Amino acid sequence: MRNRITDLRAERGWTQAELAQRAAVSRQTINAIETGKFDPSLPLAFRLARLFALTIEELFLDEQ
Amino acid sequence: MQVLNEIKATARLALWTCAWAASLALAKFGPRLLWDPPAHVTSWAAVAVNLAVGIGWIVVFTRFLHTVDELQRKLLQDALAITLGVAWVVGFAYIVADTAGLVARGVDVAVLPALMGAVFLISFLIGKIRYR
Repeated sequence: MRNRITDLRAERGWTQAELAQRAAVSRQTINAIETGKFDPSLPLAFRLARLFALTIEELFLDEQ
Repeated sequence: MQVLNEIKATARLALWTCAWAASLALAKFGPRLLWDPPAHVTSWAAVAVNLAVGIGWIVVFTRFLHTVDELQRKLLQDALAITLGVAWVVGFAYIVADTAGLVARGVDVAVLPALMGAVFLISFLIGKIRYR
């Protein structure tokens, strides 16, 4: 699943580690989500969307 | 907070793993090295302690799985699935070969947990590299 996390994170000047800390996950998890290797669970997707003040649909792009 | 919880859970798991290994060593080598000549009651007590610590270790590992974040949990679960699969397939292949009289020399039963440990570690490391 594609997402806008890398761009949004860059806009805010957050490192992967900072975002990981805010989302209460590991930096590896953020990296895997950003590169599309790993799809987050619904609770984590909500948490990430909340951090960027967006809805899940605005953060994650359905490729189907 | 999450990182701190993961560190605590990892330390707890490491402690229980060491305790289990120590109790296993006691049960295995105790009869020969510590209470020679072999005393059945003491040997059974050592096995019971090993079993009890093993059950505690399983509980701690299950809790550890709930503490780590979802990607780490996925990596651990993948590694566990591969380990179980390898142990199952290799174990049954060995039983079939042994029953058919194809195995000339008996293999020490300790090889299976050692193999499982190695497979788990390698699978987990490959997962770590894959999602790096």
